[in-house]
Amino acid sequence: MKMKIQFRHHLRWIAAGVVLAGTALALLLIKVEAPTEEGVKMTDIPYYQLPFGLDENGNERPFWPSRMTTANGRMSDPVRIPSALECAECHQQEFDEWAPSLHAVAGIDAIYDKTEEVNAGLLRHGTEQGRFCEGCHAPGELLSGRTNRFVSVAPSDALMEGVSCIACHTAVHADPVAGNGALTLAINSGIDKLSPALILAAPRDHARAFGAVETNDLIAKPEFCGACHTETYDRSMSRAEGDQTVQATFEEWKDSWYAKNDVTCQDCHMAPDPADYVMQLRKGKVAKPERFSHRFVGANYLMFDTSLGSNLTFLRGGLIRGLDRERQNKLIAAQGEATKRLLRTAARLELRGQSKIDKGMHLDIAVQNLGAGHNLPTGVTDQKHMWLEVVVKNAKGETVFHSGGYDALLGATDPDAVAWIEEFLDEDGNRILDHLTFVTAAVTWQRVTIPPRGEDVVGYDIPLPEGETGPFTLEARLWYRVALQEMVFNNLKIDMPIPPFELTSLTSDLSGTEGLVQ
Amino acid sequence: MNRLTHVLLGAAVIGSLSATELLADSSAEIQGLEDVKNFTLEHNAELVTNADLMLGAVRTYAGIITAHDGDYAAAWKADGPALAKAIEDIRGLWLKTSNQYETMEGIVAGIPATVKYDMILDAGNPGTESEDVAEYDLTLPDGTVLKRPGSLFHHITEPLFWGMDPVNVIMTADLNGDGNIGRGEMLFDANLALGAAEALSYWAKALKTELTEWKPNRDDAFTAVVTMTPTVGDYFGEWKESQFITGDIGAFVAQSRLVDVQGIMGGCKKMYFSAISPVVKATDPNLDQSIRAGFEELLALVKETYEREYAGEKFGTEEADAIGNEAQDIADRIVAMVLQAAAKNGVTLKM
Repeated sequence: MKMKIQFRHHLRWIAAGVVLAGTALALLLIKVEAPTEEGVKMTDIPYYQLPFGLDENGNERPFWPSRMTTANGRMSDPVRIPSALECAECHQQEFDEWAPSLHAVAGIDAIYDKTEEVNAGLLRHGTEQGRFCEGCHAPGELLSGRTNRFVSVAPSDALMEGVSCIACHTAVHADPVAGNGALTLAINSGIDKLSPALILAAPRDHARAFGAVETNDLIAKPEFCGACHTETYDRSMSRAEGDQTVQATFEEWKDSWYAKNDVTCQDCHMAPDPADYVMQLRKGKVAKPERFSHRFVGANYLMFDTSLGSNLTFLRGGLIRGLDRERQNKLIAAQGEATKRLLRTAARLELRGQSKIDKGMHLDIAVQNLGAGHNLPTGVTDQKHMWLEVVVKNAKGETVFHSGGYDALLGATDPDAVAWIEEFLDEDGNRILDHLTFVTAAVTWQRVTIPPRGEDVVGYDIPLPEGETGPFTLEARLWYRVALQEMVFNNLKIDMPIPPFELTSLTSDLSGTEGLVQ
Repeated sequence: MNRLTHVLLGAAVIGSLSATELLADSSAEIQGLEDVKNFTLEHNAELVTNADLMLGAVRTYAGIITAHDGDYAAAWKADGPALAKAIEDIRGLWLKTSNQYETMEGIVAGIPATVKYDMILDAGNPGTESEDVAEYDLTLPDGTVLKRPGSLFHHITEPLFWGMDPVNVIMTADLNGDGNIGRGEMLFDANLALGAAEALSYWAKALKTELTEWKPNRDDAFTAVVTMTPTVGDYFGEWKESQFITGDIGAFVAQSRLVDVQGIMGGCKKMYFSAISPVVKATDPNLDQSIRAGFEELLALVKETYEREYAGEKFGTEEADAIGNEAQDIADRIVAMVLQAAAKNGVTLKM
């Protein structure tokens, strides 16, 4: 009886509670049933400009002239993108491997950053045209709408990290033929924002977010790398009338021995010891690496040259966040050693022939690409180039012929050197030495780069001074350099000679030249 | 007084208070817009001063060459140190003049009446290009007329003074006397230098005349703040980089300019507080408060860093990196917030 009275007394409150709980549940269900689309609408980014018009289907293209896009077509919300430092809370080894890599500084290294800035300054909509560059160098910046004359999106830590964790681990589509950053990232829907504790509690959710089957399959393929390591110019980002191929690393690989044997970009550049791996391939032993490292060891020795001291910090655009200086110097130095070792596996010189000619001799020197699964050199080859230095000495050790010398003070190479380099030309046919993409009208070659497992035989007619007697000796060096001095001087406004790297060398007694008395 | 009278009286009081507030806000905005104009004119005056100083240095250089009848080799042999000093002065003054212009570029490029000056001074292409051509001809002292030669800062004087264009390098010269000829060690065409320096001085003054007539409005004020504030981030970025650079490689880089940053940032803050804040506060007081706090934070950082540097403190790499990044980050956030506020208030930015 007492219970009944109490129940009646509290009935109003109980009823109110039931109604409230019901309302809350209904609201929750409504929320669950009708989720808002993730990401940010382009129209919600004030003053975002689209100076390049619609695509062929009449759709807006917010990231053009980069081909990068998001899976749902919306801009990304910088607040939601996890920084690599957050990932490092659990994935410390991967972070330590990635942090000193070129991928980590892709958007801030001075050579890129200043050159992009100079290009952007060439045109009224140069900043927006810079989306072409930012797609591959700073995808977070591009996809959040920060590559714009007026930047109304606040920065976040993740956006400064270049090609960071999310740039690969959210990818769902890649087009290596179209290139120019032709990647689709599920950066709005394919990420979680779980704390480390929640990730530990529900690792499957985290794995689904960053390790989706389609993503894991894609990022293991060379096609994924090819989306950025393929570059074609047209009127959208240059003055080229037709398509001008500028970088063709994927294409170079696609028809090679490496492709036929399923040796991928990842196998070499993500092997724990890339040089060892390449030497194993050179011996014909094809096997996948035991694990894949996130160091992405490549050919840029300059960005790991710790002998440059704090000038290297300038070149890299600052320090690596999340690592103290001592630790990062150690990691950068280790990466530098791995880079040099890899470079030394790439090429070989061979004296292929020698003969007497009128008032001199003729030498044929074969430059062989033995270790690179793409052309040698590859990439931005209007800057990254290779040249041959040839010195012939007489019996007294005096130089009687010298081609391809290098002036270390000026950072200048013999203009008549045999060089494997692209030439950018403006509309008047003048050579552009400082990578001004936006005014490049045509691309030609001094000498076409050397295909995988291929060679290029260079002939030298060597005049010998009258009365000069043999025997003669040949010294040849194959040099590689990551940038032209003019680009560094004009764009970075510094006078720092860029040292070349000796890929390989050859010393040979020119037997039979004793008779070459002029 | 009945209830209705109370209500009406109350409404009238509230209405008059609101009107007073609006008038006060409006009057603050008017004063603020005057500040925007004064700030721009101050920078234009600095531009003119530096352009004239640079012209003086170029006249010294050209005078030495002329004294040797245009024989550069003879001039170098007889007056090498004087020529080297003149070139050093010219380069230093070029950097100051160019930086001064960059500070106000956003405004000049954004006002229809002055956009042609942006083309002539800084952003215009040569006549060989199809768009954004700098519409002027350059007459040189020897009577040569260069038709539509491109912007004075970037197409003519910068490559000329640093030897980036071999066509205008007359001869190499060991300017720093170290026994070697490094990149940029050369004598350049004095005739072109003098003509270009005179033109820079002329157009800087012509811009001043145009800006004196300018009547800024709310759109101009927003444009000014969102284009000038990021330059503070850029300057800090350059300061950061200058802390990393060692040895002789940085000869081409402007010196630390924290003192300039203080001036520009102070101006941006003043423009925001006086011309824009009343507008933003009316629609979004919290946003206004955040922007104000951002300016205070950035200025405090600039001031503290400058005072430490002025006192002779040397910054370590890590600290310089952290300070530079922090300044750029704050400047970026301020600009993003001001742009959000601009959008909320229907502001049209001058592109």
